[in-house]
Amino acid sequence: MAASIAPECNEIKEKYDTCFLKWYSEKYLRGNTTSNDCEALFEKYRSCLSKVLKERGIDALLEDARKTNGSETDAEFLKKS
Amino acid sequence: MKFFENRFTYDYSFPAVSLAYFLRYPNPYSRHVLTTDVIERHVDPNTQRLHTTRLHLKKSKVPSGILKLLPKGMGGSDNSGQSYILETTVVDPNEGWMTTESRNMEWTGILSVVEKQHYQRHFAEEDTRALDGLSIDKNNEHTTVRTTVTFKSRLGNGKLLGRKKTESSPGQVDAEEEAPKKGFFSSLSTAGIQRTIELIGVSRTRDAVLKSKEGMNIVLERLRKGGIVGVLEGMRKDREAAFGPDGPWKRVWLNGSGPKGRGIEDDD
Repeated sequence: MAASIAPECNEIKEKYDTCFLKWYSEKYLRGNTTSNDCEALFEKYRSCLSKVLKERGIDALLEDARKTNGSETDAEFLKKS
Repeated sequence: MKFFENRFTYDYSFPAVSLAYFLRYPNPYSRHVLTTDVIERHVDPNTQRLHTTRLHLKKSKVPSGILKLLPKGMGGSDNSGQSYILETTVVDPNEGWMTTESRNMEWTGILSVVEKQHYQRHFAEEDTRALDGLSIDKNNEHTTVRTTVTFKSRLGNGKLLGRKKTESSPGQVDAEEEAPKKGFFSSLSTAGIQRTIELIGVSRTRDAVLKSKEGMNIVLERLRKGGIVGVLEGMRKDREAAFGPDGPWKRVWLNGSGPKGRGIEDDD
C-alpha cells in the first residue's frame, strides 16, 4: 500500500486502505453503495493526518488549491514562499 | 495554453480498472511517487457516486529548460525536489464511468498542469453487434480512457513584473510585448517565455502518460492473477526494490529534501 505523508499515520492508513478496497470491490461496485463499513477507520486516519497537514502548512495549500482552482498569480505565489 | 490528448483502451472490465486506479501506487513505474493520502471521501446520497480527494507527494525537479527562464532563487536553490499533487475522482458504478482530475498545487504561477481522465466501460457485444454469427466472448468488457492535459503558464502575468494583474488574452499579450521590460524578462517576451514553458511541459507529459499506463497495466495484471492480495504482494516487493525494507518515509523525512541526484523526473 502507498505510504502516508505522515509516518505516524501509516498503521491506521493501512487498516483504512484495506477496509476501503474490500468495501469498494465487494460492495460498492456491486451496487451496495449506501454501506459505510470504513467510516470509523477513516475518521481515525483523518484525525491523525489532519494534525500533520496543519503542522506542515499543507492544509493551507489544500485550501488554496480548492479555492483558486489554479488561478494563482505570481504575486500570490511569492507571498506564500 | 497548450493541450495534450491521448485515448487508450484497457482490456479489463470497468470495476477492475477503477479499482486499479485507486491501487496504482506503488508500481514499478511509479518510483517517483513518495506518498499517497486520502484527504476526503464520500458517497453522494443522491447520485450514489463516490467522490475522493487524494494528495500525492512526488519527487520532481523543475526541468532545466524552465529553470533557465526563472529569476534566481525561484525554482532554484529552494526547490525541495518534491511536489504536491491534488487528485479528485468521481466514480459512477451504475453508469460505468470514472472521471479524474490531477493538478499541481505549487508553482502554479510558473506552470499549472491539469490532467483530466474519463474512463468509460464498454461491452463487447455492443461493439460487435454487426458481427453476429461469429463466436465472440459475450462477457468481454473493456474500458476506454481519454486523457487530456492542459498546460498554462502565467509567468509574468502577475504583480511580479510590476504590472497590473491581468488575464491573458491575445490583445494583452501584444501590449505586454511592447511594454519596456527589466531584468530577466528583458531578452524574451512574456508570451514567448510562457509558450516555451508550456511546450516543455507537453514534451514531458507524452512520456509520463505512457509510463502511467504501463503502471496501470501491471496493477491490472496482478489483480487478474491474484486479486487484491496479489496486488498488495506486488507492491510490497516494489517498495522494497525502490526504497529498501524501511519504506520511503525514512528517506523523505530524515534526509529532508529527499534523495538527490537520482535524476528521476516527475512523470505523472
